[in-house]
Amino acid sequence: MKKKSLALLTLLLAALFALAACSGDKEKETDKGDGKDSEKEQSTAELALEVNNEGEAIKGGTLQVGLVNDTPFQGIFSWELYEDGYDADIMEYMTNSLFETDGDFMATDEGIASLEVDADNNKATIKIREGVKWSDGEPLKIEDVIYPYEIIGHKDYTGVRYDDDFRNIVGAEEYHDGKAETISGLKKIDEQTLEVSFKKVSPAVFSVGDGLWGYAAPKHQLEEIPVKDLLASDAVRKNPVTLGAFKLDKITPGESVQFVKNEHYWKGEPKLDKVIVTIVPSSSAATAMKSGKYDIIKKYPTTQYDGIKDLKNIDIVGRPELSYSYLAFKLGKYDNEAKENVMDPNAKMNDKKLRQALTYAIDIESVSSKFYQDLRERGNSLIPPVFASFYDESLEGYKYDPEKANQLLDEAGYKDTDGDGIREDKDGKKFSIKLASMAGSDTDEAIVEFYRQNWKDVGIDVELTTGRLIEFNSFYDKVQADDPEIDMFMAAWGTGTNPSPNGLFGKGAQFNFARFVSDDLTALLNDIDSDKAMDADYRAEAFKKWQEYMNDEAFLVPTYFRTEIFPINKRVKNYTIDYVSGSDTNLHEIELTAESPMK
Amino acid sequence: MWKTILRRFLVMIPQLFILSLIVFIMAKQMPGDPFTGLITPETDANRIAELREEAGLNDPIVVQYYNWISGVVQGDLGKSYTYKRSVSSIIGERAYNTFLLSLLSAILVYLIAIPLGVLAGRYQNSFLDKSIVLYSFLSYAIPTFVLSLIFLFLFGYQFEWFPTSGTVDVSLEPGTMDYYWSKFYHILLPSITFALLGTTSIIQYLRTEIIDASGQDYVKTARSKGIPMRKVYSRHIFRNSLLPIAAFFGFTITGLLGGSIFIETVFGYPGMGQLFVQSIQSRDYSVITALVMLFGFLTLLGSLLSDIIMSIVDPRIRID
Repeated sequence: MKKKSLALLTLLLAALFALAACSGDKEKETDKGDGKDSEKEQSTAELALEVNNEGEAIKGGTLQVGLVNDTPFQGIFSWELYEDGYDADIMEYMTNSLFETDGDFMATDEGIASLEVDADNNKATIKIREGVKWSDGEPLKIEDVIYPYEIIGHKDYTGVRYDDDFRNIVGAEEYHDGKAETISGLKKIDEQTLEVSFKKVSPAVFSVGDGLWGYAAPKHQLEEIPVKDLLASDAVRKNPVTLGAFKLDKITPGESVQFVKNEHYWKGEPKLDKVIVTIVPSSSAATAMKSGKYDIIKKYPTTQYDGIKDLKNIDIVGRPELSYSYLAFKLGKYDNEAKENVMDPNAKMNDKKLRQALTYAIDIESVSSKFYQDLRERGNSLIPPVFASFYDESLEGYKYDPEKANQLLDEAGYKDTDGDGIREDKDGKKFSIKLASMAGSDTDEAIVEFYRQNWKDVGIDVELTTGRLIEFNSFYDKVQADDPEIDMFMAAWGTGTNPSPNGLFGKGAQFNFARFVSDDLTALLNDIDSDKAMDADYRAEAFKKWQEYMNDEAFLVPTYFRTEIFPINKRVKNYTIDYVSGSDTNLHEIELTAESPMK
Repeated sequence: MWKTILRRFLVMIPQLFILSLIVFIMAKQMPGDPFTGLITPETDANRIAELREEAGLNDPIVVQYYNWISGVVQGDLGKSYTYKRSVSSIIGERAYNTFLLSLLSAILVYLIAIPLGVLAGRYQNSFLDKSIVLYSFLSYAIPTFVLSLIFLFLFGYQFEWFPTSGTVDVSLEPGTMDYYWSKFYHILLPSITFALLGTTSIIQYLRTEIIDASGQDYVKTARSKGIPMRKVYSRHIFRNSLLPIAAFFGFTITGLLGGSIFIETVFGYPGMGQLFVQSIQSRDYSVITALVMLFGFLTLLGSLLSDIIMSIVDPRIRID
């Protein structure tokens, strides 16, 4: 008997440890009492963009940055060659970025280079500041601005960036095919100035698009290395020469990187001595922040917001992501021969009212607040609100309204004829819709079930394609191949900094997964990238018209806008995550108020 | 014996060949390919198609297999789609990490399990025995990631006795004493976790063997010759009881390169387990196939090693 109770005791102890370790802050939470409710109400829009901590700054110091990732980073430190976003997060500390951008992500004159566009002649002029130096002390030359084009355009280049956009530069294709020694569209005017000629400029050029490249590459370091060997070279993996506030000092492949300040930084000497970026497993991100291991955690999993929101030693800042989630309806096929989308007039979902009803029927607001702690909000438009002048905030979108959904379904002719609570189709036959959704975090399943219940409430039977959530690769395989088992699907798009929707919704766009085409849409899309749209106001107006059209047709409707959060330790004096001139572009100004992160 | 060993190696060739066929075809059957993950509105669909073509993913599978296997035969495992480096250099890096971690774990496992197994067997049904058996079942029942997390939170974050992630402190100069100490320090907690969980089978085998052996005739003979019990245990019973454990030893050695996805993920330790799972998720064909081939080879080698070890420790067994 005694021994049994010992076993029990051991078990209990183990369980206690587990609980204590996982939820050490539970008590603090209850302490707060009534403050808690108001906090729950707090929408993410109210999460501040910056922290300002009082206190005397110490001299120098080391900023500890955690980067949440459950796998090692790849370590390709070249803007031309990298593919994994985590490498970009690390490169930010030593960036070679030439331009700084405004609220619409258009290039400004604040950065190393400035941009002037001559739309009439399809030309742009890049002018670099004088006196900018590389981290090894070499001066930045205009050749360093040209060199990345020669890397990307090279025949041995195997990355994604040699694309249609890039070929828009005059002479890029000839250079790639080996017919020319240089890219004829790049003309060095003087030591500070480069003139770029395009086949055709569009408004995208202002956000460093149309083939323009926003980064410099250290030609004096790289030119000796053949392009095909660049990826494996130390110049890319171990000791890149860079322009940013910090420079790479030491690296443990896949795990951590130590940066030291770049005394040649063009904006002035950084106040910090060092920055150390370490990969943090998602399972311990919250605990790591609590125990003062890191000053900032990037890519913090929003599903673990609860684990840190009441911590006393940190502040949490948030900003909208450059992305949106969507619900889309399959309306046709991609014709591989003709390379264009073909709409099927008899597609099951080819009924505007049906699509609108299905969107009205789902309670996105509740999912946002219950499952995502308001770190997501219902999206009303296909342009995220970050794009200040393109985003149409007046758009109502599809607010949860089951009555309206019922009414629309009635009007469209979907009636419950056999009295089982489920609507039949227009001909009175059984009606069921197949939804494809991606497997990801553990809440995904619950959310999809919630939506299925929502649809059932308005009498629509929704089944899951393959019967369960689909793994990422498999999902895109099916969606891209227009699998007949998919009537509608839920996914997300990152917009990047140029929100032009042509690549996603154009007639020839392979990624137009809904396969919706119409003359009206084509006209609206062309308008956004037209010559007239070189005028910012005109373009903003064109964007608004397009957003309204998309909203009405409802073949791809936004579900959520997402908020990205950054826990920041209280010893960080000033830090802002504003996209415009945030701390990422002014790393040299970060200061700390204590020797080590607060606990 | 040498003949047998040579023969066993020769038999491995067709075995590995069949394995290579299976794994290659299965890998290609998975939905998606290494370029699926590149889909964003900013990437150009045509460029992705071009890259696919350049990578030869549109060729008939026979051609793809031929291209791959002819490289493998010449020792070229190809290039990782994800890491853009040669597969052998990535596996080399990870195998080194995993080897260090597993070696320490294995040493700890034997250090913990052998004394416990012997004690439990010798003092059968005592309180000590029961406690050891309880421990071994508990450790068998606790999922790896649960104990890893508990240990990480307690000893890593709460008491700050151990580093919490990675293999080494990045700010140290490679090659210095501090650097190697830091490396050891980083694998200590994961190894202990791993070792505490891996002792069950050894304890149980050893305990049963010792209990069985203590009733054997040779033990009685030894006792009747007047040899003290302590000596009978250490000289006679112990050596005989180690036989079944020696039978596993070959697998233990080759298993050092297997890695554990749970330990590696929780402790942020880049090793083989993670590499394998990640390569499957990102459809990094060249890495998947190389790893399966490696694991397959190690398993075959492990069984051979075990047989050889058995024949050395137990003269009754001959491999001919």
